[in-house]
Amino acid sequence: MDGVHDLGGREGYGPIDVDESEEPFHADWEARLFGIVRAMTRTASWSIDWFRQCRELIDPVDYLTRPYYDQWLQTYAAMMVDSGVATVAELASGRSSDSIQGLAPPKTPESVEAAKRATARFDRDTSDAPRFIFGQSVVTRRNGWSGHTRLPQYARGRRGRIESLNGAHVFPDSNSAGKGHAEALYTVSFASAELWPEASGRPDRVFLDLWESYFERE
Amino acid sequence: MSDDDSKRIQSIHHDLHSDLPAEPALRVKALESLLIEKGMLNPKTVDAWIEVYTEEIGPKRGAAVVAKAWLDPEFRRRLLADGTAAITELGFEGWATAHFKVVENTSMIHNLIVCTLCSCYPHSVLGIPPNWYKTAAYRSRAVRDPRGVLAEFGETLPDDVEVRVWDSTAELRYMVLPERPAGTEAWNEGRLAALVTRNAMIGTQRALGTDSTRHR
Repeated sequence: MDGVHDLGGREGYGPIDVDESEEPFHADWEARLFGIVRAMTRTASWSIDWFRQCRELIDPVDYLTRPYYDQWLQTYAAMMVDSGVATVAELASGRSSDSIQGLAPPKTPESVEAAKRATARFDRDTSDAPRFIFGQSVVTRRNGWSGHTRLPQYARGRRGRIESLNGAHVFPDSNSAGKGHAEALYTVSFASAELWPEASGRPDRVFLDLWESYFERE
Repeated sequence: MSDDDSKRIQSIHHDLHSDLPAEPALRVKALESLLIEKGMLNPKTVDAWIEVYTEEIGPKRGAAVVAKAWLDPEFRRRLLADGTAAITELGFEGWATAHFKVVENTSMIHNLIVCTLCSCYPHSVLGIPPNWYKTAAYRSRAVRDPRGVLAEFGETLPDDVEVRVWDSTAELRYMVLPERPAGTEAWNEGRLAALVTRNAMIGTQRALGTDSTRHR
């Protein structure tokens, strides 16, 4: 989706707040929302890519102006409404008008000890051989599509170099819709001068992790 | 995801925008109350997660990894070859680090980490990302103007040093292994770790100070 979230290389967003204080949360509600997201019962299997897609669909003005954890809240709220766990009215009032049958008890504080070390892997076994090899030159697809994708606009239709093969990883463009298959994932580098006119003459490079479907078949 | 899915979610966002309180703190309060009432949340578990990501999981973990790599060449080799296996040795595996990759600064290479499409970050090693990492300003500029970004953080890179920007577009998560400062040959692991800043492991700081004047 060619949305406002695809920020790489956009101009006009101003300087960076380099003097931000170091504490992890800057307001109680931020910490609270973070903890809620880790601790809440999931009644549907929301993939990381579905979460990202739902965040990308936030109104562009809200996406650029509302605080980060507030966007998390709205994304989880949208997924809850979409999967029938809660209504907009319930989320607005904080009062439940309908109970959910058959729920397991909520996660306990003791569960955090094991959960903090839990990892989710995204690589999958495959018998498909990767089509590209280390050092090979590749050209990325020129166009995106309206669904979820992880090929940013700034790296489309550009020539890069395969730096490494990372096995087969779940493909976001299909995983968001719940039909995830895995395909070869490569780390690809692009000369900055290939991406940005003002980088001409600099030795710099930009590295992205890109799936095989993101390359043109030359 | 079909166009129908997109339209449906956009419509839900529209309703949420209209009906939820504007103030984030009030939105969070309503969400917490609702989840507790529905039997989906124990507020003490929320407290426990906040405590873990405030007290235990944060940049000091990354700093311990860096200091160990500086002192132990075998660990450094394992860290660069398979970051996830190396942090698992220290018990630092967890959220977002199943495919963890460490990239090494040298006298001729400087690495910088970003996620232009959302805000991907190696949480179980570096904790909660700084807010600036999640802003449009950093996400837009890191790939296009990395030298300008570094200058804002007070770093001037020589023209012949290659900047490598890593845009976290998949589930690989990156951390920078900074260069060990000169004059620290006799230092122990704890003293070295105290030198390593969060920004150095993201790549927005290059030179680590051996005096106490550098606060980032």
